[in-house]
Amino acid sequence: MKTKLIGLGLLAAVIVAAALYAVISQNQAVTEINGYVGGEKIGLLDDDEVQDLLRSRYHLVIDYTKAGSIEMIGADLEGRDFLFPSNQTALELYEQAHGSPMRSEIVFNTPIVLYTRQEVAQAMQEIGLVREQDGVQYVDVEKLAGLIEDGVSWAEIGLPQLYGNVAVSTTDPSKSNSGNMFAGLLANALAGGVAEEEDLPDLLPRLKDVFGKLGYMESSSADLFDQFLKTGMGAKPLIAGYESQLLEFAVEEPETWEQLSSDVVMLYPVPTVWSSHVFIALDEAGSAGIDALLDEDVQRLAWEKHGFRTGVYGTPSDEAHFGVPGVALDLTQVSPMPGAGVMEEIIAALE
Amino acid sequence: MKRWRQWKRWLVLPVCICLLLACASCGKESGEADAVLGSGGTVLRIVSGSENAELEPILEEFANREHIQLEMTYLGSLDIMRLLGEEEIPYDAVWPASSLWLDVGDINHRVKQAEPISVTPVVFGIRQSLAEELGFVGREVSVSDLLGVIRSGKLRFCMTSATQSNSGASAYIGFLYALLGGPDMITEEDLQSETLREQMRSLLSGVERSSGSSEWLKEMFLQGDHDAMVNYECLILAANRELENRGEETLYCVYPYDGLSLADSPLGFLDSGNDKKEEAFRKLQDYLLSAETQDAIQRTGRRSPYTGVSEENRGVFRADWGFQPDRVLSPIRMPAADVLFDCLNLYQTEFKKPAINVYCLDYSGSMSGNGNRQLVDAMEQVLIQENAARNFLQASEEEINILIPFSDVIMGVYIAQGNGQDLEDLFPLVRDTAVGGGTNMYAAAMEGLRQLERYDLREYSPAIILLTDGMSSGAVQPFEQAYRESGLDVPVFSIMFGDADATQLEELAQLTNARVFDGRENLTEAFRSVKGYN
Repeated sequence: MKTKLIGLGLLAAVIVAAALYAVISQNQAVTEINGYVGGEKIGLLDDDEVQDLLRSRYHLVIDYTKAGSIEMIGADLEGRDFLFPSNQTALELYEQAHGSPMRSEIVFNTPIVLYTRQEVAQAMQEIGLVREQDGVQYVDVEKLAGLIEDGVSWAEIGLPQLYGNVAVSTTDPSKSNSGNMFAGLLANALAGGVAEEEDLPDLLPRLKDVFGKLGYMESSSADLFDQFLKTGMGAKPLIAGYESQLLEFAVEEPETWEQLSSDVVMLYPVPTVWSSHVFIALDEAGSAGIDALLDEDVQRLAWEKHGFRTGVYGTPSDEAHFGVPGVALDLTQVSPMPGAGVMEEIIAALE
Repeated sequence: MKRWRQWKRWLVLPVCICLLLACASCGKESGEADAVLGSGGTVLRIVSGSENAELEPILEEFANREHIQLEMTYLGSLDIMRLLGEEEIPYDAVWPASSLWLDVGDINHRVKQAEPISVTPVVFGIRQSLAEELGFVGREVSVSDLLGVIRSGKLRFCMTSATQSNSGASAYIGFLYALLGGPDMITEEDLQSETLREQMRSLLSGVERSSGSSEWLKEMFLQGDHDAMVNYECLILAANRELENRGEETLYCVYPYDGLSLADSPLGFLDSGNDKKEEAFRKLQDYLLSAETQDAIQRTGRRSPYTGVSEENRGVFRADWGFQPDRVLSPIRMPAADVLFDCLNLYQTEFKKPAINVYCLDYSGSMSGNGNRQLVDAMEQVLIQENAARNFLQASEEEINILIPFSDVIMGVYIAQGNGQDLEDLFPLVRDTAVGGGTNMYAAAMEGLRQLERYDLREYSPAIILLTDGMSSGAVQPFEQAYRESGLDVPVFSIMFGDADATQLEELAQLTNARVFDGRENLTEAFRSVKGYN
């Protein structure tokens, strides 16, 4: 009996010691890095599973401050280990200002898409603005830009319940990435190819006209998407956003998504552009962030729970678990964004 | 863009004023809440649009259940926006009427986890029989239709101040679009138009009474005798419930299709690194967004995010009152920030009915020391225009300011027209007048009424503002009689100073459908509130 008790006591002591060791060793080894992150990746960085993986495999905690992709390049970088913007323009701008970073790598991708409601998508189909192929809906950006420039009203395309003219609501291109990339996409469409320096004299006034009609633009992609879903078809009939936003929403809010899924429609612009989430390491510690985020399981979670495509412009094999109809697994019609110099001029003109 | 930067500076400057005031009111707790719900170790101080006062029973249930004390302070949404630009924000959460003001005002990115709680459009509520007479029942109505009847004098209405409250600002932007002939977007050039100026002034001359926030407007509407108000759909509904209870005529809800805007009521957290508060905030937000609470919120006439109005609650939005729960709410676009602020500045200085402010200034013996100092500091904030402009309190060119210093006698009447040197010249007089003698504020208020009788008050927004400690000899009856005989609908506001006693002041406010403010706590707020009413 006595030996049994002693044995139990010893066992308990070993367990406690092991637990203590685990806690202490983990605490000792964990490195915390911090930097600026575009708001659309916060769901992923706050994900417990992702955090656990980073901590257990890489002894890493990623702390962040939310900032716009363009905004963060000009921010005070003192004490920051990394920047995590949502496009490569930001990297180019960084290089112009500070030279080559310690290391940089694209860790996720997601295409720019438009979101709308069933009735609007239907009306757009009827006038040949949207076409469906293999269950995926594609929108002709050049034609859409034409409607906006001509000041065609919603009523004229068969939607009298909507007030005003056809417009795509975006975030402020000078502050937020999705708005910025939509401006790039529109510039490409209007230029009939990737917009170049020599296209600008013609392009800038047209872009100013299109964006000028939008008036107040939200400063965050997440807020714009949130308002699109919450305030109904009338308030935001058509917005620009990321494919990942809806996929993540469907996973995180399955019950709400069930109520909305028959009404919310994702449209792929033809051609679209990739939002490339490039991790810019500013120091050695930040560089560890790249390795950690490229971990196979982190990449898997990024797609399955947050809708980010992984690998270099990767084609994911499976999207059924999202319960989102019309996801284009294989995107062929993608064009590069205009170069950083051209984008800078576009942003300046729209400011 | 430049103007926008200027605006950012404005957002920061009021801090200085607040610091000054903090000294002027040494020892006083600042920012006393308008409502304290529940009790508990964790306190959430929430600054909110007054329309959320209607949700107090729902909030109180949460506060009691979770032992979290909710302290509600009500302010107009634009005033909340301004607050966000200040260095110190003495609140844990913000709850303005619309996300727009969070997005514009939160220049330092301090608001976290903001989520819309409910959705309600800004509409016109018009007395049923009048709505019928005007032909607005059972058909689509445009802003121009409304402008037509307002300009011909058939419709007079109440509306909150466009520079303080979201509902007033939204309606005003809707008016601008309509008067400009429905452009894609309002531009700076549009605003320079002389025709616009003339038309907007004639339109706003139809405003009978105003206020600094929407619930206060509803309360004032219910106390007064008015035909219509611009307000949230949910507050028109609340007013109708009260009117029906009283057996009075209800309002018919008109949705101007080309001038509609939506309030999405975002509740956001102001992070101060206090985990307990953050947890309490999350609990509150989860509670408000839960299916059960959303159901209760819908029954107050608000729509739910995502889904609108549920089948069971459709009946709340009564069709006989003109409500359309299934309507696709398609709002106008708000102009970019710099143009938006130009619009608001024009409202304040050019478009809205000019005010006549009668300031009755207490120089009685009891005001000596602190009280007098506070009074002089206060008048410096409204008379010196550079100070006033920082808080959208600047006078317009046609504004009339009348000063009546008093003790137990009227010490004089001083009048300044416009916003020039005449107005600023009144300040040395305020500063140098000596304190002494007894108090008779009723006599001063009566003198104020006599002064106002000399003007055509349809052309002005009049208000009498008492700056006093409220301890007066004399009686209210003679004033009451004079007030009734004059037939004037003039509010008598009070701003309290020194060792104030509110009893007599409340009596005057009650009688004249006005309010009493504590100038020792937050003077800027007090002035902004008073000015919101005229």
